[in-house]
Amino acid sequence: MEDKIRIFKIVLLIVFILLVVRAFQLQVLDGDYYYNLSEGNRTSFRPISAPRGKIIDRNGEIMVNNKLSHNLYLLPNEIPPQVSIDAVLKNIANYTSLTYANLLENYNLSKDNINNQGAFILKRNIKKEDMVILLENNNELPGVLVKESSIRDYVYGDLAAHLIGYVGEINKEELRYYSEQSIYSYHVQDMLGKSGLEKEYEEYLKGIDGVRQVEVNNLGEFVQELGVKDPVPGHNIVLNIDLKFQQKVERILESHIERLIIEAQEDDERCEPIGGSAIILNPNNGKILAMSSYPNFNLNTFTTGLSEEDYLKLSSDSRRPMLDRNIMVSVPPGSLFKLVTGTAAIKYLNVKAETEFNDPNGLFYIPGWSRPFRNWHEGGEGSMDFTKALARSNNIIFYKLGYNLYQEYRGEKLVETAINYGLSQKTNIDLPGEKKGRVPEEGLSSNSKSWNPGDSVNLSIGQGDLLTTPIQMANYISAIANRGTLFRPYILDEIVNFEGEVIFNQKSEVLHELDYDNRLYNILHQGMEEVTMSSYGTARSTFRDFPIEVSGKTGTAQTSIEDFSHGWFGGFAPSDDPEIVVLVFLENGSSSTYTLPIAGDIIKEYFDVNIEQEEKRDEVANTTTEDGQGAEQTNEKEENSNSNLFEYIRDVFSSKEEESN
Amino acid sequence: MLLNKKMYRNINIYIPLTVIVLIIIGFFAISSAVEINRIGSNGIIYLQKQVIATLTGIFIVIFIQFFDYRVFKEYYKLIFWTMIITLFMTRMYGVNISGGRRWLDLGFINFQPSELSKIALILVLASVLDRKNEFDSIIDLILPFLYFLIPFSLIVVENDLGTALVLLAILIIMLYVAGVNKKFLYVFFGGGFLTIIAVIASHLYFNTPLPFLKEYQLNRLVAFINPGIDPRGIGYNIIQSKIALGSGRFFGKGLFDGTQNQLNFLPEKHTDFIFSVIGEEFGFIGIFIIIALYVFLFWQLFKVVLEAKDNFGKLVVSGIIAMFFFHVVENIGMTMGVMPITGIPLPFISYGGTSMVVSLIAIGIVLNINIRKKKLHF
Repeated sequence: MEDKIRIFKIVLLIVFILLVVRAFQLQVLDGDYYYNLSEGNRTSFRPISAPRGKIIDRNGEIMVNNKLSHNLYLLPNEIPPQVSIDAVLKNIANYTSLTYANLLENYNLSKDNINNQGAFILKRNIKKEDMVILLENNNELPGVLVKESSIRDYVYGDLAAHLIGYVGEINKEELRYYSEQSIYSYHVQDMLGKSGLEKEYEEYLKGIDGVRQVEVNNLGEFVQELGVKDPVPGHNIVLNIDLKFQQKVERILESHIERLIIEAQEDDERCEPIGGSAIILNPNNGKILAMSSYPNFNLNTFTTGLSEEDYLKLSSDSRRPMLDRNIMVSVPPGSLFKLVTGTAAIKYLNVKAETEFNDPNGLFYIPGWSRPFRNWHEGGEGSMDFTKALARSNNIIFYKLGYNLYQEYRGEKLVETAINYGLSQKTNIDLPGEKKGRVPEEGLSSNSKSWNPGDSVNLSIGQGDLLTTPIQMANYISAIANRGTLFRPYILDEIVNFEGEVIFNQKSEVLHELDYDNRLYNILHQGMEEVTMSSYGTARSTFRDFPIEVSGKTGTAQTSIEDFSHGWFGGFAPSDDPEIVVLVFLENGSSSTYTLPIAGDIIKEYFDVNIEQEEKRDEVANTTTEDGQGAEQTNEKEENSNSNLFEYIRDVFSSKEEESN
Repeated sequence: MLLNKKMYRNINIYIPLTVIVLIIIGFFAISSAVEINRIGSNGIIYLQKQVIATLTGIFIVIFIQFFDYRVFKEYYKLIFWTMIITLFMTRMYGVNISGGRRWLDLGFINFQPSELSKIALILVLASVLDRKNEFDSIIDLILPFLYFLIPFSLIVVENDLGTALVLLAILIIMLYVAGVNKKFLYVFFGGGFLTIIAVIASHLYFNTPLPFLKEYQLNRLVAFINPGIDPRGIGYNIIQSKIALGSGRFFGKGLFDGTQNQLNFLPEKHTDFIFSVIGEEFGFIGIFIIIALYVFLFWQLFKVVLEAKDNFGKLVVSGIIAMFFFHVVENIGMTMGVMPITGIPLPFISYGGTSMVVSLIAIGIVLNINIRKKKLHF
C-alpha cells in the first residue's frame, strides 16, 4: 500500500505543478493581455463628435457652417451578455427605416477598423423619424446610442463650389492612408474633405472627437463615469475671398455664359461655350479675391453622401460641372502668350516701344518653307510699332519676332522666358488638383535637332506644344502688373481655433522674382493699355469708354480640334497702380471678344461703379442685343487662323523631308 | 466515551491549522465576491451564513472525535441505505434550485444530500473493500461496484454531473489503493471513458440521443474545447474566468478591486468561480499560496494514511484525499480553462453551507483516524 500511496503522491504533485504552471502562464506570461481585456470589459466609450471648422470670408461672413444631425452607434459593452449583437441589429431594423443587411455591413466595417475604441458607428445622419423612434424605444435597445453630431451646411449652395469643395464619406483607401500616417482619429463613415479647400485644409477643419468613458457592469448597465475627453472642434479657416464680390462674379460669369450659349444657338458661325472661369487676385500679394468656375454644382448634395442619382447626373453631364476650370484645365494660351514673346523680344532683340514693323500681306514665310503662316486679319495691316502690334495682336509681327529669336538663340530664350513667368510649373495655389501645363522644354537645349524654326514661330503666338492653366495665366499677368514679382496665389488668410486664437497666418510668398528692368514693363504696360484704350486695340469695344483705366491682353487659342477655340482675357486695373488682376477664360468661347463683357462687368463690380447704372446698361444691352452683337462681331472676329496649325504641321513634315534629302 | 488525553497528543495539528487558514481566506474572497464593500450590499448575510456553517462544521468535527471511527465499519449497511433513501427522497420531494433537484428542505435549513453521499460512499466502499484481501477476480469487484453504482445512478439522474464525477474519482482511487488488479482498472475505466467519448461524438456528428447528459452539459464540453465559439453564450464563463485570473497578473488588483468580480463579469463568483476572484484580486502570488496550502494539507493527509492503525482507516483517508483532490483540481482547472465546467465547489473556500459542513466532517473523520493511529515503537 505504501508504494501505491507514493505513486498517488507523485501524481498529485505533478497535477498541482501543472496547475501552477498554467496559472503562471495566464497571470504572468499573458497577464498584460488579460489585464487589457478586463479593462476593455468594464469600459464603454460613448463618442462625442467634434464639429468641423467653419469657412469664413474676409469680412467674417460664414460661407460654410454645420447643422445638427444624429448618428447611430452600437456600444457592445453595454449590451447584456444574453443578448446577441445580431438581435440588437435586427431590433433596430424593426423599428427604423434602416435595413438589417446595411446595419450588419456597417457594423463589420466599423469592427475591422483598428481606430475603433469600442463604439461602432452604424449610421451617420439618421432620419429624424428614426431618431425619435429609437429614443422612444431606448429601453428595448440596449447598447444603442443615438448621439448628436453635425453635418456640413453649405449656406450658399453652389457658391464657390469648386473652391470650397465638398466632403464625402471616408473610403477604405483613405482609412488605410491615415493609419499608415499614424493618424488614428478617422473612423468608418467619417466625413472628410474630398476636393477644394475642404480637402486642402482637412487636417485643420477636422475636429478631434471626444469620448465619454463609462464603467459598465456585466449587464452593460452604467456604473459610473470614468472620464470625459472633450471634443475639440475643427479650426475655422478665414479666406481672402470676399463673399459678396464672389457672389457677383459668379452671377456675371453665369449670366454671360448662358447668354452666349443662346446667341450661339442662333448663329451658325459661333460655337457654344462649354464653360468658363474667372479669377480676380491682388497683384501686390497674390491674394485671391474671387474665383469662379462655371458650370458649377450644389455642394449640399454631398453633405449626406452623394446619392447615386446625383452622382450619375453630375458625372454624365457633358459640360463637366465638377471640373474646376481655374486650375484643372490646361489649354493653349493663344495670344495671351504674346506678352512672353514681347518680353523676350524687348530683352534679347532690343525691341523698343516705337520699333517699327511691317505686315504687308498678312502672310509670313519661313525662308525655304512653301506654306505661309497667316494673321487672323487677312490682307495685311501695314506698318506699325511694337506696342500697336501688341494692341492689334498682329500674328505676322510676332512670327517675325519668334523667327528672329530663333535665328539668334534657337528656342532657348522664348521657352526660358515662358518658364520664367511660371508656365509649366504649378502656382502652388492652396487647392488640390492643380495642373502644371507644359512648355516645349526641348527648345531649351541649344543643339537640339528636334527644334526647328516652325516651333519658335508657332510658339511666339502661344500655339504649339504649349498648355497653360487659367491660374497660371492670372499669375503671369499679375507679375507683369506688379513689374516683376511672381507671387504664389493663395486663398487662405488665416486659421483660427474654436477659441478665436489665430493659429496660422498665411503670408504672401514669392515664387520667383523676374530680373527684367522697368523699361521692359513700361513697354508691356503701354502695349496692354493700347489693347484696351486705343482706337485699334482688340479689347476696345468694352474698355475704351470704361470708367476705370484697364490694361489687358486678349487671346483666342486654337486647339487640335477644328472649330474649337478658347477665349482669354487677362488684365489689370487701374492701369497706373494695379489693385486687381482679372482673368477670364471661356472654354470653346470661339473668340476672346466674348470674354470682354465678363471682365468688364467684374471690374466694374469690384470698383463699385454705380451699380444701378450698370443694371440699366444690362437692360439696354439686352434689348439691343442684335446691334451690339453685330458691332462686336465685325470689330473683333479676330485671330481665327485655324488653318495655320494644319499648314504648320504639313510644313514640318515637308521640311523634314527636305532635310533628309 | 472512547476519548482519552493521550489521543490529543497524537493529533496532527497542521491539518486543522491549514484548514482554518483556507477557510479564513475563503471568508475574504466571499466578502469580495458578494461585494460586501458596496453601500447597500446584502453581502454580509452570505458571510454570516458561511461563518455559521463553519462553526457548525467545527462542532461536528469535535463531536466526531468521541467515537472510534471503526463504528462506521460496523454500520456501513445502515449508512448505505440511509444515503439511498435520502437521495431518493430528494428526487421525490427535493427543492429545485438552478437546474437540479438537489436540495432537501429540512425546515430550518436547505440541505444537499448528494454532498453527504460522497462521505457515505467513502465509508461504505472502505468497509466493503476492507472485508476482502484479494481482488484477482472480477467477481470480487461486483459487490463494491454495486455499492457505487446505485448512488451514482441516482445522482446522475438528479443531473448532478459534478458530484457523480467525484464519486467516480473516489471509486477509482479507493480501488487502486485497495490493491485491485490494475488490469481491471484499465478495462473498466478506460473502456468506460472511450464509451462516453463515442456517445458524445455520435451525438455531435449523427445527432443520436444523449443518455444522462443534458444539452447545457454538452455545451459546457463544447465551450471547454473551444470557448471562442460563442463568447457571449456558452463560452462566456470560461472566457470571463480566464480574463479575471489573467488580469490579476503577479500581485493582483487588491481585495475588492477586481473589476471582473465587482462588476459581475464573473459568473457564480462566490461559489464555483471563487478561485477566479482570488486570482484576480491576489494575483499569481495568491494562487500559488492557495495551491501550496492544499498540497501541504494533502501531504498531512497522506501521513495520516500511512500512520493509520488499520486498513479501513487507510482506505477511508485515501477516499477523502481522492474526494478533495478531485474537487480542488476540477474547480481550479475549470477556472483556468483546463477542465470542463462542472458545478463543484472549492473545498473550504467556496460559499455553501453543505459543502463546508461535509468538508469539515471529512476532516473530522481524518482527525478521528489520526488520533487513534498505531503506536510507534522505537
